Amino acid sequence: MLEVEDLHKTYGEVVALDGVDLSVAAGDIVGLLGPNGAGKTTLVSIVAGLRRADRGVVRVDGRNVAVAPYETRRRIGLAPQDLGIYPVLSVRDNLLYFGELAELSGRELTGRIEEVADALELTHLLDRPARTLSGGEKRRLHTAMAMLHRPPLLLLDEPTTGVDVATRSRLLEVVRARAADGTAVCYSTHYLPEVESLGASVAILDQGRVAARGALHDLVHAHGQCYVELSFDGEAPDVPGLEGAERSGSGLRLPTADPAGETARVLSALGPVAPRLRTVEILRPSLESVFLAVTGRRYEEEVGTGVGAS
Amino acid sequence: MSVRRSLAVARHELRLLRRDPAPVVILIAMPLVLMAFNRPAFRAALTEAGYADVNGAEHVVPGTAVMFAFFLVGNVGFAFFREHGWQTWERLRATSTRPVEVMVGKAITPLVVSAVQLFVLFGLGGLLFGLRVRGAILGLVLVGASLGICLVAFGFLLTAVCRTIMQLNAVANIGALVFAGIGGALTPLSTLPGWARAVAPATPSYWAMRGFRSIILDGASVGAVLLPCAILLLFGVGFGLVAARRFRFAETKTSWA
Ligand SMILES: Nc1ncnc2c1ncn2[C@@H]1O[C@H](COP(=O)(O)OP(=O)(O)OP(=O)(O)O)[C@@H](O)[C@H]1O
Ligand SMILES: [Mg+2]
Repeated sequence: MLEVEDLHKTYGEVVALDGVDLSVAAGDIVGLLGPNGAGKTTLVSIVAGLRRADRGVVRVDGRNVAVAPYETRRRIGLAPQDLGIYPVLSVRDNLLYFGELAELSGRELTGRIEEVADALELTHLLDRPARTLSGGEKRRLHTAMAMLHRPPLLLLDEPTTGVDVATRSRLLEVVRARAADGTAVCYSTHYLPEVESLGASVAILDQGRVAARGALHDLVHAHGQCYVELSFDGEAPDVPGLEGAERSGSGLRLPTADPAGETARVLSALGPVAPRLRTVEILRPSLESVFLAVTGRRYEEEVGTGVGAS
Repeated sequence: MSVRRSLAVARHELRLLRRDPAPVVILIAMPLVLMAFNRPAFRAALTEAGYADVNGAEHVVPGTAVMFAFFLVGNVGFAFFREHGWQTWERLRATSTRPVEVMVGKAITPLVVSAVQLFVLFGLGGLLFGLRVRGAILGLVLVGASLGICLVAFGFLLTAVCRTIMQLNAVANIGALVFAGIGGALTPLSTLPGWARAVAPATPSYWAMRGFRSIILDGASVGAVLLPCAILLLFGVGFGLVAARRFRFAETKTSWA
C-alpha cells in the first residue's frame, strides 16, 4: 500500500531524511520509532503530500504522490502530531466536515460518524463544543477525523500523546481492528510497549535513516541482547573484571547471555566501590534492547519518556 | 474540481459563522448608526452640489454601505488565518481538497454575507432614512454583486501577501478607510480636494459609488452601471490573479493560537 524509496529531505542545513526506504503492505502496522528529531513527522508529512521531498519516490497504492497528489491523498488518513480540531464547533461538526470533504453524504456519512465515535468513545461527546473536551478527548477526536473515511493508509503521528491508559488501549484496539480489515497503518510513537502490543513490525529511524526494519520478533531475535546495567553516584568507576562494559557517564552496561549469573558476578566484583552503586537493572531482549543495539543509546535517554525496561 | 467539496467548505464556514455571528452583526448594525449621524450633513452637501429634493440618504446609505463592505475584507482573510491558529490548515491540505476548491468554498460565505449586508443596509436605509431609488433597482443589485466579488478577491490578495494575522488586520482596516476616503464613499467626491478626485478612479470604491449614485441620484437605467460593474470585476480579476500568483498553500502563517 505504501512504498517509500530513497527519500531525502533537508531543511536548510538540517538533514531530516537521509535516504529512507520503507514499505507497508495492506493490513500491516508499522511502528515508526526514533528519538526527537529523527525525521518521523517529516516522513509522514511527505507521504501525506504536505511537504515535498528533495529526492526519492513515495507511492501510495501504486501511485506516485508527487505525480497524483489528490488521488493519493484520498487514500490517506493523517492524524498529525499537532492537535488540529475546530474548537468552536461541536465534535459532530468536526467529524461532519472531514466526512464531507471525503465526499461522504447522507446516511453513509451519519453511519461513519456513529461508527468512528463509537470506536473512539466519543458518542456521548458528539454535541459538545470541541474546546470543552479534555486533552485526551481532543486527541481522540483528532484521530477520529483521520479515520472517518476509512482510508486504506492510516498515518498516525504520535496518537497517544497525553492520553490515559484506558484511552491508549482503546486506541490500540481500534488500530488493530482497522489493520485486520486491511488498512495499512504507519504508527509513530515514543512508547515502545505500544508497538509490542500492536504486534506491529518496526522501523527505527535515527538521524534521518532507517536504522532497523523488520518484524518485532525477528529484530528482537537478531539484536535483542540482554544487558546488565549499573548506575553509580558520580562517574562510573573502573572495576577490575568489568573491562568489557560500555560506559556512559555514571552508567556501566554489560552485554550478556546469562543476566542472573552476570549480575551476581558483577556485584561481587564491585568491591570497594559497592557503596557508590545506585541501581542495577537487567534489560531483557525487547524493543528497548533492539534500539540500544542499533543506535548505541537507550531509548528513554533519548526521549525522556521513561519507558521502563523489563 | 469538485463542487461538492467547495460546498462542504462553504457550509463549514457558515457553521463557524453561526458560532460567532457578532462581528458580522456589528458590521451591519454599526453603519446604520453612522447613517443616522451623518445624513443631515450630506443633505447640505448634495444640495450644494445641485441636487434638488434630497435628504442626504442618497449619499449616506451607499457611502456607508461601501465603506463597511470593505471591512468584510478582513473576515475573508481571517477565515484562512484561524485555520493556521487551530492547526487545521495542514489537515485540510492533507485531504483530497484542491486549492481551487478551498478558495471557491471560502469565497461563498463572504459573498453571501456581503449580499446580506448590502440588502439590509439599503433596505433599512429606505425604511429608516427615506432613501429613494430613482433608477433601476436591478442596477443596484449588479453593482452590489460586483462589489462583493471585488472585495473577496481583495481579501484573497491580502491573505496571500500577509504572513501574520496582525499584518492582515492592519492592512485590511487601513485599506477599507483609504478606499472609502479617496473613493468618495466617506464624503461625496465633490467635497474632496482636486488631487484626491484625480486618484479616486484608482480605487474600487469610487466605481461602486459611481454605480450606486447614478441609479439612486440620477435615476439611471441598468446600462449606466455596466461600466462601473465591469471595472469592479476587473479589479476583482486583477486582485485574484495576483493572489493566485502569490498564494502559497504550503506556507504556514502566524495566527493567534
Ligand atoms: N519546518 C522545519 N524547518 C526546519 N527544520 C525542521 C522543520 N521541520 C523539522 N525540522 C527539523 O528536521 C528534523 C526532523 O524533524 P521531525 O519533526 O521530522 O522529527 P520527529 O522524528 O518527528 O521528532 P519528534 O519525535 O520530536 O516529533 C529535526 O532536526 C527538526 O528540527
Ligand atoms: Mg514528530
